[in-house]
Amino acid sequence: MVRLIVRRLAISLVILFAVSLLIFAATLLLPGDPARAILGQQATPERIAALHEQMHLDEPAWQRYFSWLGGLFTGDLGTSVASGEPVAELLGDRARASVFLMVAAALISIPAGIALGIWSALRRGRTADTVITGVSLVLAALPEFVVGIALVAFFATSVLSILPAVTMAPPGSQVWDFPSQMILPTAVLVLVVTPYIARMMRATMLEVLDSGYVEMARLKGVPERRVILRHALPHAIGPVAQVVAIQLAWMAGGVVVVEFLFRFPGLGQALIDAVNYRDVQVVQAVTMIVAVIYVVVNLLADIVGILANPKLRTGGAA
Amino acid sequence: MSETPDGGRISRSDDPATRAATTVATRRGVLGGGLGLGLSAVLAACGDSAAPVQSVDLEGPPREGGSMRIGFVGGGASDTLDGAIATNLGDIARAVNMYNTLLYFDDDYVLRPMLATSVTPNDDATVWTAELRDDVTFWDGRPLTAEDVIASFERIVDPDDPKNGAAALSHLEEIVKTAEHTVEFRLSSSDTALDEQFGQYTSIIVPADFTVEDPVGTGPFMLKSFTAAQSTVLTRNPHYWGEDGPYLDEISLLNFNDTDALINALLSNQVDAVAQIPPALTEVIASDERITILNSETGMYLPFTMRVDQAPFDDERVRQAFRLAANREGMIEQVLSGKGTLGNDMFAVFDPAYPDDLPQRTQDIAEAKKLLAEAGYPDGLEIELVTAPIQAGVVEAAQVFAEQASEAGIRVTINRMDLTAYWTDYLNYTFSQSFWYTRNFLAQANAGAMPGAPFNETHWEDEDFIALVEQARAEVDEKARGELIAQAQEIMYDRGGYLIWGFANQIDAYQGYLGGFVENRTGIPLSGFRLDRVWIGETE
Repeated sequence: MVRLIVRRLAISLVILFAVSLLIFAATLLLPGDPARAILGQQATPERIAALHEQMHLDEPAWQRYFSWLGGLFTGDLGTSVASGEPVAELLGDRARASVFLMVAAALISIPAGIALGIWSALRRGRTADTVITGVSLVLAALPEFVVGIALVAFFATSVLSILPAVTMAPPGSQVWDFPSQMILPTAVLVLVVTPYIARMMRATMLEVLDSGYVEMARLKGVPERRVILRHALPHAIGPVAQVVAIQLAWMAGGVVVVEFLFRFPGLGQALIDAVNYRDVQVVQAVTMIVAVIYVVVNLLADIVGILANPKLRTGGAA
Repeated sequence: MSETPDGGRISRSDDPATRAATTVATRRGVLGGGLGLGLSAVLAACGDSAAPVQSVDLEGPPREGGSMRIGFVGGGASDTLDGAIATNLGDIARAVNMYNTLLYFDDDYVLRPMLATSVTPNDDATVWTAELRDDVTFWDGRPLTAEDVIASFERIVDPDDPKNGAAALSHLEEIVKTAEHTVEFRLSSSDTALDEQFGQYTSIIVPADFTVEDPVGTGPFMLKSFTAAQSTVLTRNPHYWGEDGPYLDEISLLNFNDTDALINALLSNQVDAVAQIPPALTEVIASDERITILNSETGMYLPFTMRVDQAPFDDERVRQAFRLAANREGMIEQVLSGKGTLGNDMFAVFDPAYPDDLPQRTQDIAEAKKLLAEAGYPDGLEIELVTAPIQAGVVEAAQVFAEQASEAGIRVTINRMDLTAYWTDYLNYTFSQSFWYTRNFLAQANAGAMPGAPFNETHWEDEDFIALVEQARAEVDEKARGELIAQAQEIMYDRGGYLIWGFANQIDAYQGYLGGFVENRTGIPLSGFRLDRVWIGETE
């Protein structure tokens, strides 16, 4: 099992390396000269040359790539050209805000999705099941933008006016100092993520409930609660972990849209700003952070899958 | 001086960086506009259930106290506290409220005294004398001196780190203190419009030991805190020299990324006022009884630029045909939702010398076709129009024009670029678009219509025009100068490279309990960001 996990870890590193190459190549392809984008009217040839040197744009691309990659390992994300501050410092607060939002959403949507899935699986074919299945299908089909605008219109601006529509923390304070401003952004992520988890949980749970060993346990007279918690659930949770991982990874990208909509001061906002200013170091750092979240979450899901699968756990399939 | 002043940089500065900065948001605005329309349908559906409107007393004299939050789209990591390099809306709001200038443009776009009681030229406008107020103190209580004024302008023209106003002051030879509160600006060439430069919001007066890390100004509000791309908090300056205002204790300036979030914040009462809303959303927002719309006529225009030194526009008849192919009323209706005034291919509409007696040019397809045929295009012509979302309405104007011009056989291919890509090659496109804010004629000509002007988009080098502008620049007599300007404008009208179809209004929105906002022609939102005049009414 350990060998399997180590192999997964190695694959993750290779993927991250490939992603870093892609990110670097993509930022090279951004049209327009970053020095011009920043200097604007003050863009005399001398100032452009000086800024090029400062941004190391005069060096060959491969050299810039390796110094950037080297920096990643030492935690040096470079310097933002637009603000002149170290990228790590610039993104620190924002990364914390984004992660806080994601964790809040995950802490609600994962248990809620699993519970709803189990509940509706146990009520297969009944009204509650039909309603949950239908609603989750609709919610899963709606983009976060639509969900967000609808929530804002209903709770903040037009109908009820009881919740803040945007995040507005005064300088120096953190987003979590204002819990009411967290409600709508979190709700959007929860509403978009939960249906997937619930649907997957319901499907795998039904499969397990139909299996021979659950039937056997019931026939033996094991109490129903114990049948579900000890016999069915552990077998259903493995595949669901994969879906949860995909959803969490998706959230790392979807959070950009939510942040845009709610003026949430996170990584997504920083990314949008940086692309506009051709602030390449920040673009690279943010995309790399999102990629790392993606890879780490998937890795964790794989490990949960390995641990939950008796065959893999005993090393049989490795 | 050389012909390079960036001139009466009146409202938001017009350099590419500014444009990129202020309009970064605009593309999102276009995207957001569509979403906003979706939202507006929801709004219209539930209009009745909005929060009850409270009655507010705005009749009496202004009330003191309270704090206000202002939202606007734009700003980013390069936001600055240095008013002399202000570019985006947040920079401008900070510049106007933290600092003062010697003169300023009032709501009617007339120059008025501010830190100077008077600024007067000598006979040939080579020496300008500024008389300073003697009762002005900085935030920290130190008095404003002639030395501070000299240091402020030396900071602006610092050759190692020139600020936005430097190009317009390239003919400034020396600044001399001639009395306790008198300063002389000595120029190497005549400039009758130098005082307009003193009225720019970027011509800020700061103490001689000014640093941007710890800024000090004479403005109505002092800096409390600042986070680039996020928010700025200003507090009332207890030493303010002005007689009226400021009334508010505190102001928060809040950056937004997108118009939707901005309007949501206004409707949910998280901000008290917002700068610049899309014209298309005006009606919807106005339908909320709590909100007041501020609709100001300005001198802002979104011209089409035709390079007069390149085919096909090197032929005057082709330029005229393009101007005749445009349906100006239609453009204003479709692009600005009717919130604008007609253009007549001349700029500086608020300049006292603007010739409004010239016949209004209107769409004339037959004449346009005839001119094109005479110029050698009997079957019409193909042309590429380079555009980018540099300002709200620009891309829409391109689309509307392409539609209109096709009637005259002008087949327009629109090349829509990304903002940064657009600015990288700005000034080189044969047929393109631009935007300019309110400014008087000489300042505008110096910025964009003279050889060597920093933004001569049409590559306009007309000898008669140049001669008239140079004469006007040296003519101290206002009436005679006005006549010269009117003649120069007529040349623009007859054979210029601009297609100026209209002037766009500035539209802002604020909560009904705010007093002190008035229509303002400068093009700077929310009454020129003169927040010292704003106060909060008492709820009855």
